[in-house]
Amino acid sequence: MSLYTYSLLSIVGINIMLAVSLNMITGFCGQFSLGHGAFYGAGAYAAALCAVAGYPVPVALIAGAVVAGILGFVVGFASVRLREDFLAVTTIGVSFLFVGFVRKQHWLGAEMGISKIPGSGLGAEGNAVMILLFAAATIAFSLYLNRSWLGFAFRAVGDDEQAARTVAIPASSYKLLAFALGTAIAGLAGGLYTYFTQFIVPDSFGFILSVTLMAMVVIGGTGSTWGVVAATIILTLLPEVFRFINDYRLLIFGGLLVLVTRFAPGGLAGIVNSLTRRLRRA
Amino acid sequence: MDPDPVYYVDLTLNGLIFGAMYALMAIGLTLVYGLLRILHIAHAAVYAFGAFITVIVANATGSIALGIVVAIVASALLGPAIYRLLYEPLLKHPPYVAMIASMGLLIFMEDGFRILFGEQGLTFTRNPYPTEIHQLFGVTINTVQIAMIVLSVVCLTALALFTTRTRVGVAWRATVSNPTIATSFGVDAIKVRYLNFMIGSALAALAGALIALLNNFVEPSMGFVVSYKALAIIVLGGLGSMRGTLIASLALGLVESFGTILVGSYLDRDALAFLFLIIVLMVRPQGLTGARA
Amino acid sequence: MTNVLQVESVSIRFGGVQALTDVNFSVGKGEIVGLIGPNGAGKTTLLRIIAGVLAPDTGRVMLDGQNVTRLPTAARIAKGLAITHQIVRPFRSMTVLENTALAAGHKITANPLTAIFHWRRAAENSRAAAILAKVGLGGMEDRAVSALPLGHLKRLEVARALAVDPSVIILDEPLAGLNHREAEQQADTLAALNAEGLTTVLIEHNLREVMRVCKRLLVLDGGRIIADGAPAEVMADKAVREAYIGKADDHAAA
Ligand SMILES: Nc1ncnc2c1ncn2[C@@H]1O[C@H](COP(=O)(O)OP(=O)(O)OP(=O)(O)O)[C@@H](O)[C@H]1O
Ligand SMILES: [Mg+2]
Repeated sequence: MSLYTYSLLSIVGINIMLAVSLNMITGFCGQFSLGHGAFYGAGAYAAALCAVAGYPVPVALIAGAVVAGILGFVVGFASVRLREDFLAVTTIGVSFLFVGFVRKQHWLGAEMGISKIPGSGLGAEGNAVMILLFAAATIAFSLYLNRSWLGFAFRAVGDDEQAARTVAIPASSYKLLAFALGTAIAGLAGGLYTYFTQFIVPDSFGFILSVTLMAMVVIGGTGSTWGVVAATIILTLLPEVFRFINDYRLLIFGGLLVLVTRFAPGGLAGIVNSLTRRLRRA
Repeated sequence: MDPDPVYYVDLTLNGLIFGAMYALMAIGLTLVYGLLRILHIAHAAVYAFGAFITVIVANATGSIALGIVVAIVASALLGPAIYRLLYEPLLKHPPYVAMIASMGLLIFMEDGFRILFGEQGLTFTRNPYPTEIHQLFGVTINTVQIAMIVLSVVCLTALALFTTRTRVGVAWRATVSNPTIATSFGVDAIKVRYLNFMIGSALAALAGALIALLNNFVEPSMGFVVSYKALAIIVLGGLGSMRGTLIASLALGLVESFGTILVGSYLDRDALAFLFLIIVLMVRPQGLTGARA
Repeated sequence: MTNVLQVESVSIRFGGVQALTDVNFSVGKGEIVGLIGPNGAGKTTLLRIIAGVLAPDTGRVMLDGQNVTRLPTAARIAKGLAITHQIVRPFRSMTVLENTALAAGHKITANPLTAIFHWRRAAENSRAAAILAKVGLGGMEDRAVSALPLGHLKRLEVARALAVDPSVIILDEPLAGLNHREAEQQADTLAALNAEGLTTVLIEHNLREVMRVCKRLLVLDGGRIIADGAPAEVMADKAVREAYIGKADDHAAA
């Protein structure tokens, strides 16, 4: 396989980790977050600093996950304190704040980012395999989560927080955990991205990325792991397969978002579900 | 730092002017949110639309005033069309669905502007106003800035008078802050929705036109950051309150203006706005002026 | 007799409305008490304060002799309180069985870090099925709640509350929206549960059923307790009659 294929596979794997982890927060637990890119960035920067300082790969990856998870936990407090609409706007704020902050930090390379990051030593192929393994693990974890009592309670909190409290579910703890878990996975993806590119700049983690991830979740079907994975693969590969699309990338993206929310709010998963139901009836 | 007091007057004036533009933008969002509980992010696309129409018409006819009027009228039609075609069918879903759709529409329209008018956007062929400098009480100010102050004061005062002094206005405002009240006032709630989108969009177009004049150009992405800042403003203002929105707009203008000077080396202007938002929300979860739920 | 639930000088004000004024009462173990009062008397507000959804301006709430005024809702439920909502609030994305089974797993879900390590639901499902049968929702297990009529949703509220293994249950108008026969059945179910030892507070407008199953009545009017005692005595009380008849006159005038 070519270097190009490995890099495509790596990007798909990273995007799957990001979208599936965002789906844990938004799809499973009902907490709207438009700042997922910031946690991904925090993980990437933490891992990059570790790698540059000479720490081994596992340490850097764990550092990425932990830093992002802690940050996510802190932002999660906003979800405890604020009503829904305020939370959406606050996480948008987190997104802009992260990029605006990093851009001005000299110890993080400011606008120029961090370059000459040591490689993982696995080569392009090894990196792609590592990333895909982590992506597979993320999917498996997401599927497990949805079946576990944690996922069960997440659904209750997403449906009706107040009602969840009346069946002894401490909704705030659940929301914090959803944020911590989802953002830690995003941070891990950030660490993998760092080893993949060996060069990071603040603008890779901005608001557009956060919106793109939310689009993958919504188009795939909020709450459906497989739907989100499918949407992620399609939306990541489409512009690569059809080169001309690249010029109209955002136009198509925005258009898809409008069409899906307008005509199929359940996303791909919703469409597939209603099709299979219709087939079964026929 | 510059000890000259005029410098601070300058910063204050600049902050207030930006605040006034934010207010023109954000009033529309507040109106929509108050009535429909939708975060109408695509409002910024209407603002950019207004700016583009202004430049196109002004360049074609040679009259900037005509450009502004056409922009306002066209936007006042676009806003209600967005409501009718996009939001109305989504009202039965949870509010985040409409918000995502709105975000999609903003991205779609922005990229559409880029494809139609190019990455660089458009410039006025003849626009003398930003370079017409006046000295007022020792402060330097250009014609566009004066127009910004005068027009926003006129529009916001007219809106305030309309909503406090006329029967229709009072009913309208009551409906915005409590939609269920509409019927008891004998107001047609559906008409109020269209009115909201019309007035809000017209004000946004005016803001877009003025900003275009000030910068002497329009670019496809001009609405991008503004849209999210306007969201931050209506949240700061306590969501759904026009007075709160006005206060939050001016406060944000001032914070940005002074903050860029004071802490500009640690944070950029946009980050500063959201830092302000987050700090305020953590201290007062109900916003700057909102009452406790 | 030990007091399972005790409310001490609770008051709350919303803006200009004094919704509750110095409310005092206690409920002993095994009692079944009716809490009645005209619309807007403050019954639901009182329930919300007991459940910890609202914090009172003054006063305190005790469960099993323990002051819980500062505890969050979930912790109070874990201590043996259960409530139902006047306006039903089922988990919309779940089936009838799931709604109840989730509540039956409250020991697992009390801590998210415990919940993450559990996935088997068989025990909770069968317990939930048993409770559903008890409230008359047997056979409805796999229905989506969005397709359920109000009467069934009211029973689901009760089922979900029972599933958290309460020692005291407060029900906010569980009979509203049920027809004559259904209401009678539901009241019988509640009386039977009480006979098994469940302390019960029944907020209701259906006086017929309240008079039939409750051994004691509390009357709330304008945010104050105006009567507390045996049903027959309370209904004979002049203040109570005025509260209700005055209300009836208002209706007639309107
Ligand atoms: N969150 C609130 N904000 C302001 N006022 C409130 C609030 N909740 C209740 N009230 C007011 O408090 C009073 C008591 O209301 P409550 O719902 O407790 O009455 P209730 O006895 O349950 O009536 P009903 O029989 O109609 O259910 C009413 O005047 C109501 O308008
Ligand atoms: Mg009530």
